[in-house]
Amino acid sequence: MRQRSYGRDTELTLRMFFTMFMLGLLYVAFIGLLFWAGINPIVIGIFAVVMVLFQYFGSDKLVLATTRAKVVTPQEEPALHATVERLAAMADMPKPKKIAVMETHVPNAFATGRNPKNSVIAVTRGLLAHLDEREVEAVLAHELAHVKNRDVMVLTWASIIVIMAGFLMQMLFWMSLFGGIGGGNRDRGGGNAFMIMLAVYAGTIAVYFLSQVLILALSRYRELAADRASAIVTGAPMQLASALSKISNEMYCIPEKDMRQVEHANAFFIIPALKSDGVASLFSSHPKVDKRIERLQAMQREMERGL
Amino acid sequence: MGLLSVLFGRSKLRKPNREQFFSIVTAESSLRGRTDLRTTEKAGIVFNPVESTFFESLDSEIRDLLRISSDATGTRYEVVDDSHGTRWVVLDDRDFEDLVSIIHLVGETITDHGFGDRMLAAVFGFDYEGKKAYWIYSIKRGSFYPLVLSGDNERDNAAEMRLAAVMEEDRIPVERDLTRWYALWGIPF
Repeated sequence: MRQRSYGRDTELTLRMFFTMFMLGLLYVAFIGLLFWAGINPIVIGIFAVVMVLFQYFGSDKLVLATTRAKVVTPQEEPALHATVERLAAMADMPKPKKIAVMETHVPNAFATGRNPKNSVIAVTRGLLAHLDEREVEAVLAHELAHVKNRDVMVLTWASIIVIMAGFLMQMLFWMSLFGGIGGGNRDRGGGNAFMIMLAVYAGTIAVYFLSQVLILALSRYRELAADRASAIVTGAPMQLASALSKISNEMYCIPEKDMRQVEHANAFFIIPALKSDGVASLFSSHPKVDKRIERLQAMQREMERGL
Repeated sequence: MGLLSVLFGRSKLRKPNREQFFSIVTAESSLRGRTDLRTTEKAGIVFNPVESTFFESLDSEIRDLLRISSDATGTRYEVVDDSHGTRWVVLDDRDFEDLVSIIHLVGETITDHGFGDRMLAAVFGFDYEGKKAYWIYSIKRGSFYPLVLSGDNERDNAAEMRLAAVMEEDRIPVERDLTRWYALWGIPF
């Protein structure tokens, strides 16, 4: 019996592995730096973990509140619920706990929540209006893939290091303002302590930016993974491709005040709500739309060949 | 889903699980004495087609298969696409075993072509206490669950729980996780 499976993208897996590996190295280097400078990383670590736990458990409520998405019942939006249910059955996962609609004309969608059972999927009214049924289905499948891949969990935990470095940067800044770095270093010479502090400061800034870049790369790869999953679940890569091009065209053409409100959830949108004005794609949480479409076209060719 | 799949965001559709499927044949024979639960002599299998020309060859093969087997058993069949982009093969036969075996045959054909992971469910139509009811075999999970409709877009959960108890009595493997009792709206029979 032959089994056709479109599940693997070795290149993508390797890239993700490399990014995570580099993040791991960065963690080790950062903690090593702290020990070397005589700063106990445990306090900062605990602070970062608490922050992350807050994000982790509050992510669904926080995002719902900041985006003003309204949770809809199956009675209010039967078609939307039915589509999500079919897709969840196809992907063999539980249906997300909440489905929400944002009353804005900008077509977009996002998913959040720490695990599949506590997840929220939201779409905008504009998405339902501008896209046809199969395109909406493809977008929902993309969001469901984020839930299934636990992207919120992976990205939240990965960002501990950013929080740690950011916290330390602020601490060092205030300390330098009020003179002296902790008492623990008094036995060393004054000049030496200053040099150490300078090194820690520089190191922390480097860690902060490097980890940001790595996490953004990871986020882009996970977008590609979710695109792939959508194509697999719906069996129609071109539906997602056309949805992406429609969404990205509409988004940058119609000016909307509402855009500001959706800034918070940026990382989890199918296409980021705020356009980074062409700054290096290195600092973007999403891959470029034409790149994503190209990959979907490659999948379509793969499916046409029948493997 | 494995840790590695989560870490690397890999996705793969679950392969079909057909082991428990035939339990429905024995169950149906023990139902004959009941008055509150009757088969509607209709059943179907639902799958998610791939938008590709390659898939079309499978599709025509399924249609050939249906034509041949319906000649032999006198089963009426119909291929219907619904608004969710899924495709139904709907069968209509007085002989329940024919329904089961043709559905199995269609499932096998799809699997042999390597599209087994695109099948969603096999559905058997029943009339339960005067309501439209279905026994749904989740091909991915390898278990059955009931769906009882009251009105167009409403489920009768209480009746479903009762029907599940009936099914368990007949040694049908009923899905334990209630969150997986997915509705299938717009079943075309």
